[in-house]
Amino acid sequence: MWLRLRNQNKKQVYQYDKVAQEGIYGTIERDLHANIEKVRNITGNSADIVIRRFLLGKEENLSSALCFVSGMVDENMVQQLLIEASVQLSFPSTCCDQLDYIEKKIATANTTRRVKQWNEVFSLLMSGESILFIHGMQEAISIAVKGGEYRAITEPSTQLSIRGPREGFTESLGTNVAMVRRRIQHPHVRVEAITVGEVTHTNVRMMYMKEIADDNIVEEVRSRLQRICMDGVLESGYIEQLIEDETFTTFPTIYHTERPDSVAANLLEGRVAIFVEGTPFVLIAPAVFIQFFQAVEDYYARFDIATALRFLRILVFFISLVAPSLYIAATTFHQEMIPTSLVIAIAAQRESVPFPAFVEAVIMEVTFEILREAGVRLPRTVGQAVSIVGALVIGQAAVEAGFVSSVMVIVVSITAIASFATPSFAIAVSARLIRFLLMVLAALFGFYGILIGLIWMTIHLCSLRSFGVPYMTPLAPLIPTNLRDTFVRFPLWALTDRPHGITEETNIVRQGDEQRPEHNQETRREGDEN
Amino acid sequence: MKIKRYPFLIFMLFICTLLFGCWSKKELRDLALIIAVGIDKKDGKYMSTFQVVNPGNVAGATQRGGGSTGLPVALYTSTGDTLVEASRKASKQISRIPYYSHTNLVVIGEELAKEGIQQIFDAVERNPQFRPTANIVIARKQTAKQLLSVLTPIDKIPANQMIKTLELTEMMWGENVDTRLREVIESFSLAGKEVIMSSFYVDGNRKHSDDQNNVRTMEPTARLRAAELAIFKKGKLIGWIGKEEARGVLWILDKIKQTAVTVDWKEEKEAVSYKVVRAKTKVTAQLRNGKPIIFVAVKTEGDIGETFVAIDFTDPKQIVALEKVMQQEIKAEIEKAAHVAQKKKSDIFGFGEVVHRAYPKEWKEMKKTWDDKYFPKLDVQVKVESFIRRTGLRTRSYIQ
Amino acid sequence: MERACISARQLFMLAILFEHGSAMVIPLGVDAKQDVWLAILCGMVLGGGLLFVYYRLFTYYPRLPLTSYSQRIVGSFFGRVLGIIYVLYFLYIAARVLRDFGELLLTFAYPETPLFILNAVMMLTVMYAVYKGIEVIARASQLFFFSLYWILILGFVLIIIAGAVDLHRLQPILEEGWGPIFHVVFTQTLYVPFGEMIVFTMIFPYLQKQEKVMKAGFLALLLSGINLAMIMGMNVAVLGADMVSRSTFPLLNTIQEIRVANFLERLDVLFMIALIVGGFFKVVVFFYAGVIGAADLFQIKEYQRLVYPLGISVLFLSIAIASNFAEHIKEGLQIVTIYMHIPLQIVIPVLLLLIAMLRQGKRGRKPQGAREQRTP
Repeated sequence: MWLRLRNQNKKQVYQYDKVAQEGIYGTIERDLHANIEKVRNITGNSADIVIRRFLLGKEENLSSALCFVSGMVDENMVQQLLIEASVQLSFPSTCCDQLDYIEKKIATANTTRRVKQWNEVFSLLMSGESILFIHGMQEAISIAVKGGEYRAITEPSTQLSIRGPREGFTESLGTNVAMVRRRIQHPHVRVEAITVGEVTHTNVRMMYMKEIADDNIVEEVRSRLQRICMDGVLESGYIEQLIEDETFTTFPTIYHTERPDSVAANLLEGRVAIFVEGTPFVLIAPAVFIQFFQAVEDYYARFDIATALRFLRILVFFISLVAPSLYIAATTFHQEMIPTSLVIAIAAQRESVPFPAFVEAVIMEVTFEILREAGVRLPRTVGQAVSIVGALVIGQAAVEAGFVSSVMVIVVSITAIASFATPSFAIAVSARLIRFLLMVLAALFGFYGILIGLIWMTIHLCSLRSFGVPYMTPLAPLIPTNLRDTFVRFPLWALTDRPHGITEETNIVRQGDEQRPEHNQETRREGDEN
Repeated sequence: MKIKRYPFLIFMLFICTLLFGCWSKKELRDLALIIAVGIDKKDGKYMSTFQVVNPGNVAGATQRGGGSTGLPVALYTSTGDTLVEASRKASKQISRIPYYSHTNLVVIGEELAKEGIQQIFDAVERNPQFRPTANIVIARKQTAKQLLSVLTPIDKIPANQMIKTLELTEMMWGENVDTRLREVIESFSLAGKEVIMSSFYVDGNRKHSDDQNNVRTMEPTARLRAAELAIFKKGKLIGWIGKEEARGVLWILDKIKQTAVTVDWKEEKEAVSYKVVRAKTKVTAQLRNGKPIIFVAVKTEGDIGETFVAIDFTDPKQIVALEKVMQQEIKAEIEKAAHVAQKKKSDIFGFGEVVHRAYPKEWKEMKKTWDDKYFPKLDVQVKVESFIRRTGLRTRSYIQ
Repeated sequence: MERACISARQLFMLAILFEHGSAMVIPLGVDAKQDVWLAILCGMVLGGGLLFVYYRLFTYYPRLPLTSYSQRIVGSFFGRVLGIIYVLYFLYIAARVLRDFGELLLTFAYPETPLFILNAVMMLTVMYAVYKGIEVIARASQLFFFSLYWILILGFVLIIIAGAVDLHRLQPILEEGWGPIFHVVFTQTLYVPFGEMIVFTMIFPYLQKQEKVMKAGFLALLLSGINLAMIMGMNVAVLGADMVSRSTFPLLNTIQEIRVANFLERLDVLFMIALIVGGFFKVVVFFYAGVIGAADLFQIKEYQRLVYPLGISVLFLSIAIASNFAEHIKEGLQIVTIYMHIPLQIVIPVLLLLIAMLRQGKRGRKPQGAREQRTP
C-alpha cells in the first residue's frame, strides 16, 4: 500500500509555477479596462489589491490606473505619486514617445521600469511595486514604492553580548544587507540576488568577499541555492535544510546568526552569508565545528579572558553531553571508580529510590526537557510560574518523596545549566539528543558504552563536511596556524592567517607584520629619551 | 545500496538492545559495600569476616529513611575451604552482592598469620574488584573477627578509623607501617625481601565492643590501638618488633616522615625532644672479600620541640653537640632494629634486593643461603647525619 | 582502492595510534623481566629495518598497495595468491586484536557480559569507521592522538606524584646478559607491534606527498617505540618485574597504584580509554587493509560493499579462534609468530623487494608501474 502510494507520488512532477505561469501569459493590451479586468481576474478580486483610477496629466487627462498591494507599499509615496501624476505632470501630446516621457518624469522621484509581459507585471506587483497602466499604451510602468511596516532594529535576542554592537538583524532584507555593508566598506563585498520559492518568490541575497572567499565554495553555494525548487521558503531554516551537506546528523553544518558584526567577521574569513527576506537569521557557510563554540565577544575581549572562556565552553559542552550518562555508568557499573566516602553518600541517597539509576535519570531528564519546552513557548509572565513549579516539584518534592536522589537532581541541574552555557543553540540541541543516546549506551555497557558512543560521534563528526570543507577543520585535518583560533584565542596580532581550506589559498594572510603593540611602543620610548 | 545501510545498522543496534540482559550491571542498592575483610582459620577452614557498610546509617547521609539510629556497619561471618567459597557462602546471610572494590582493609588473625598467609592472596590478586592499595594489618593476640567487631566514636566506620590511624601514626610517630596488599604479594616473589605489617589490638573491655553503648561514652570501653610490627618469614609470622626497634626498621626502610626523638643531655635522662621534619635514608651494598656489607646512610632535619634542661640554643656549638647526641640515638635505634631482624633471620629491610641490584651475578650464589648464612652475619654500617635547623619560638628555655 | 588522500601528518598520527594500540596494555615482552624496555627499543630498531623494506617496495610502486604490486613483481597468479594470503592475514590479525580487546574488557570490567556482545559493539564501530573511508579514519586519528597523549601524560604525572615509582626495580640492568633480550625481540617485540607496520603498505599509496612517507613512518616508529618502552619501564618500576610478568594487563595494575590525596584513586577509566581507543585503531587499520585489499584483488569498485560481510566474518572469527584466553595467547605467541609473522612480515617482503630490485635493474632505473594509474 505504502509502496504504491510512493510510486504514485513519484509519477506526479512538481510543476506549480508552470501551471501558474500558463494562466498569465501574454502581453498588456491597449485597452485599460481589459487590463484592469485581467488584474482583477488573476488576483481573484482580492481585497488588498488596490486599483486607483485617475486621469494622468495636468491637461492631457489620459485615463490610467495605478495598481498596488495595500500594506506593501509606502502609502505616502503613492499619494505623492498620484498628485504628481495627475496634477503636476504635463507632457507634449505630439512627442515621439509619451510613455518614455512619463516614465522619465516619474523617475525623478522613484525607480521605474517598463513592463510588457503579464507574468512580469504580476511578479512585480506582488513584490510590492505599483503598476501604472495608461490607456492606449501597450506597456505599463512599474514604480518602486516598496514600503510598509517592519520591526525596528533592536538588540538581537539570541546572541547577546556584554561588549559589542547592540544592533541585530530585522526582518527586512534591505536593512540587513545594508547593516553588513556599512561594516565592510569595500567594493569587493559582492551581493547576489536570487529568488527562491516557486510560490513565495522569496528574495535571497548571497553576500561574500571577492578575492577572499574561495570561488569554488561560492559557486557551490550559488548552485545549491539555485537548485531549490519548492513552494515556499519562509525562513532561513528552510534554506539551511535544503542546502546542507548531510541530513542525517544532529550537528549543524551551517552557522546562523542574528548579529551583523558576526556576519562581517565571517565574510572577512572568506565565508558566504545568505540573507533571506523576512527573517533576522542570516546563514553562514561553510561552518566548522569549532565555530559553534565561539562568540563574537571572544574577539572584543582580551585574549586571555577569551581563551579561558573558550575552554570553559568546550568543557560545558562535554558536561552537557555526558554528565547523566557518567552518573548512570558510575553508579550501575563502575562503583569502584567513585571514592569510597562518596560512594557511601550516594548509596545512602539511592537507598530509598525505587527506580534503577537509568530509569531515574531518564525520568529526570525528560521532566527537565518538558519544563524547558513549556517555558520556551509560554508568555514570559506564565513562564516564570512554570519555572517555580519545576523548581519546587523537581528540586524538592521529588527528593523528599524519595522518588529521585538529590545527586540526580544535581546532575540534571548541572547538565541543564551547561547546556544553557553553550553559546550556540544549534549545537546545544544536538548535544541534547546525543545525551539521551549516550544514556542508553551507558545503561547497557557502562563506560565502555559511553566511549563507544563518543567514538561513533567523533567518526561521524570527522566524516561531515560543510560545502566541501571538513567539519573538524582545523583540528582534523590539523592546520597548526589556525589552531591559534580554536580552543585558545591567541592575541589578535598573532592571528595572521585566515582559515585555511575556507579562504582562497592565494590570499591567506590577513594582517601586516609586527602588529604586536610592543614593537611600536619601543620605538616611541626611544624617541622620548631623545 | 545507499539507503539500505542505515536500517541495517540500526537493526543491529536494536538487536543488541534487545539482548539487554544488563550483564555486569549492579545497582548500588543491590551491593553490600564491604569495607574490611577479616581472615581467620577455624577448624582447618577459612573464616572470613565482612564489615559491610550500611550507607543509610553513616553520618552525613541525611536522606530520608536514614537517620542515625542504626549502626553504620554490620558484621557477617562465613566459613569455607577457600576464600572464594566463604565469600559466596556469605550470600546465605547477606541480601546483597558482596562488593570488594571499596575494601580498603584486610585484617589477618594472629593464629592464621603464624600458620602462613601465602595461600590467601591468590584469590585477592585474581579478583579484579580487589585493590592492590588496600591496607593490611594483623590482629594482635586475637582473631580478625574480634578486631573488626569494635565500634569507634569519631570515624564511624571502624575500618576507616584503623586505616587513618595507621597512616597518621606512620607519618607522625613512625613505629607502625602502612603496608599495602601489593607489597605483601611482591615480597613473596623476591628472595631478598621479607614483609612487615602493623598490628592492631582491642584495648579495654572487649565484651561490649560491638554495642552502640561503646561509642556513647566519652572514653569507649573498647578501643582500637596500633601495636607492634609483625615480622614475617616466607609468609609466616615469626615474631614481633616494637617501640624503638620498630622505628629503627622504619628508618632503614626510608619510611620515616616525621617523628620525635628524645635524648639525654649531660646527666639528665631523656631531656631534649627533637622533632624530625624530614628524613631520607639511602641503603647501598658493597662486596668485600666476597662478603656483602650494607651501608645505611640516614639524613634528618628537624627542630627542637621540648627541653627539660637549660641549653643555650643561640650557641651553634651547643647545637652541634646536641646533633651529635641525636645521631647516636638514631644510630642506636637502627642498629637495634637490624640486630633483632638478624636474630630472627628475616630480611625485612630488603638488604638482599640491594645486593641483588648491585651484584646480580654474585647474588645468584648467595640467593639460596641468604637468609640463613649471609643475612644473620651481615655487617650493617650505619651513618646518621642530623641537623637541627630551628628551635621554635624561643631560644633559651625559662628553665634555669 | 578508494579515491582519497591523506597527509603525512595524518599518517604519522594514525601510525602512532596503531603502534600503541593493544601493545600498550598487553604484557609486551615481559619475559625480558626488568629489561623489557630494552627489548622494546631493540625491537623498534629492527622494526625500523623492516619498515625500510616496506618503504623501498613502496618507492617502486608509489601508487599501488601491496596486493597490487605483488602481482607486478611475481606475476599475476602468484601475486594474486600472495595478495589473498595477505588479505586473510590482515583480517585474521584484526580478529585477534578484537579478541584481545574483548578479553581484556571482559576480565577487568564486565565479567558477566558475553564476549560476543562486547566484540560486536566494537566491531560495529569499526565497520562504521571503515565504511566512511580512510580520510575519515585519518581525521579521527588526529583527534584521538591528542586525547590519548593527554591521558598518557596525565597518567604519567599522577603516578609520579603518587610516589609509586621506584626506579630501583629496574635494576639490575642486563642481569642475564643480552641473550634473553634478543630472544624476546625475535619472538615478540619485533613482530608486535613494529613488524605489523606491514599493514601500512596498503595505506601508503593514499599519501598526498609521497616523499614524506619515510619521515612520517620512521618518526612514528621511533616515537611509539620510545613511548612503549617508557610505559613498560614504568610498569616495572611501579609493580616490579615479577608482578608485571604475571599480570594479564600490567598497565591496569600500574594505574591502580595511583592514590593521590585520598581522592584521586581508582582511575581505571584512564586505562579503559587507552585500551578502547588504542584497540579501536588497531582493528580499524587491519580491517581497512583487509577490506581494501579484497576490493583491490577482486576488482570491486565500491569497497563499502565488502564491509558488512567481512566485518561479520571478522566478528565471528574473533569468537571462534580460541576457546579460552590461555589458548588465545598461546596461539598468538607461538603459532602466529612462526607461521604468520615471520614469513609475512619479513620473508615475503624481503623476497619481493629483491625480485623487484632485480627486475628494475634489468629494465633500467625508471621503475615501471610507478607512473601508472591506480587500479581502474
